Amino acid sequence: MSALAHYLEEEGIATVAISLVRPQTENTKPPRALWVPFELGRPFGPPCDPPFQRRVILAALRLLERDSGPVVIEDFPDDDPRAQPDPAWHPPSIPTAPATGSALSLAARLEAEIVQLQGAHRLWVAQHGRTTVGLSGLAIGECGRCMAEWLRGTAPPSPREGFSAPLILRFVIDDVKAYCLEAAAAGAAKPSSRQLGDWFWNETATGAVIHALREALQRSEDERLKLVAGNFMVPAARARTR
Amino acid sequence: MTRLTDLPPAQAKRLAELECPDFEARPWVTGPALSQRRVAIVSSAGLVVRGEDPFRGRDADYRVIPSTTRPEGLLISHISINFDRTGFQKDWNVVFPLDRLGELAAEGTISSVAQTHYSFMGATDPVQMEPYARELAGRLKQDAVDAVILSPV
Repeated sequence: MSALAHYLEEEGIATVAISLVRPQTENTKPPRALWVPFELGRPFGPPCDPPFQRRVILAALRLLERDSGPVVIEDFPDDDPRAQPDPAWHPPSIPTAPATGSALSLAARLEAEIVQLQGAHRLWVAQHGRTTVGLSGLAIGECGRCMAEWLRGTAPPSPREGFSAPLILRFVIDDVKAYCLEAAAAGAAKPSSRQLGDWFWNETATGAVIHALREALQRSEDERLKLVAGNFMVPAARARTR
Repeated sequence: MTRLTDLPPAQAKRLAELECPDFEARPWVTGPALSQRRVAIVSSAGLVVRGEDPFRGRDADYRVIPSTTRPEGLLISHISINFDRTGFQKDWNVVFPLDRLGELAAEGTISSVAQTHYSFMGATDPVQMEPYARELAGRLKQDAVDAVILSPV
């Protein structure tokens, strides 16, 4: 982000950067930056809190009116008030995934789970008017089938020209994660990202399948597949050590 | 609250020590008061308008996001999985604060919102992004933009 600030400013466009990782910003020294103490992925703070988001964006934009610089790095003073767990939240009612299981049984559980979450996901879409599922271009049932086939040892061909099968698998996994997490967050409660992540990675068949795929595909001789499996399926904080 | 100290130590170390270009120049562009500025968002979240090609790995180019894009039409295709996406799923302003910018323009705090916004893939080597960023500056000028808010994930 800070590098873009340098390039654009050198071309005559004034910039202000939001900083999530202060040491990076201190190293690259953009003209102006506002460091925010929020979770990675939330540069403007909590969702559905327009007054808070407004304070963040205004604090950043006001740096454009500073007379002295470069470099200006300021700290936003307040934490995200919604980063705390919501005790009123309950995960969707689905069978709990076994910690281990054969690839065949896990694949079947995954496809069943996608169907079981349909109602909750419809509720999410009705509440929010949108879904962030859609990177792969496949319907969610097709995404589940694609993952299940990989897990059963049958690499499905890419359905999309210009996109390799491993790349499609990455987008499919992103889509299925989004589908499950949106379904889990449907309703009035406001679960924290940690609550949702704990449920997804510890209790769902989908999470178990992604762990199993990561472990299986890292044994592949296809370097591209190994790269995707090792780095782009399971977050570092959730990866199981072998 | 999440700070670098809240991340797994290896991830925190990697982020804090990420190699960045050494910029010798210290550019500093001044301009009018905020109330006279036209503002664009340039994100590094790997944002893409639904139906267009997602970023493939560490593509160095950028995607165009018209101001007319609605929340249901914007997706994240960032290669990293080590950041929260549930905030964006619930409210796109968490990453792409177009509604907030529109409100600031309507009340006169800023002059106007750019016609077009942009997204890069933040995990890309900045050196590879440089020619695209410089080309982007030309586009921003054509849109009379004189202030950019740079948003990571």
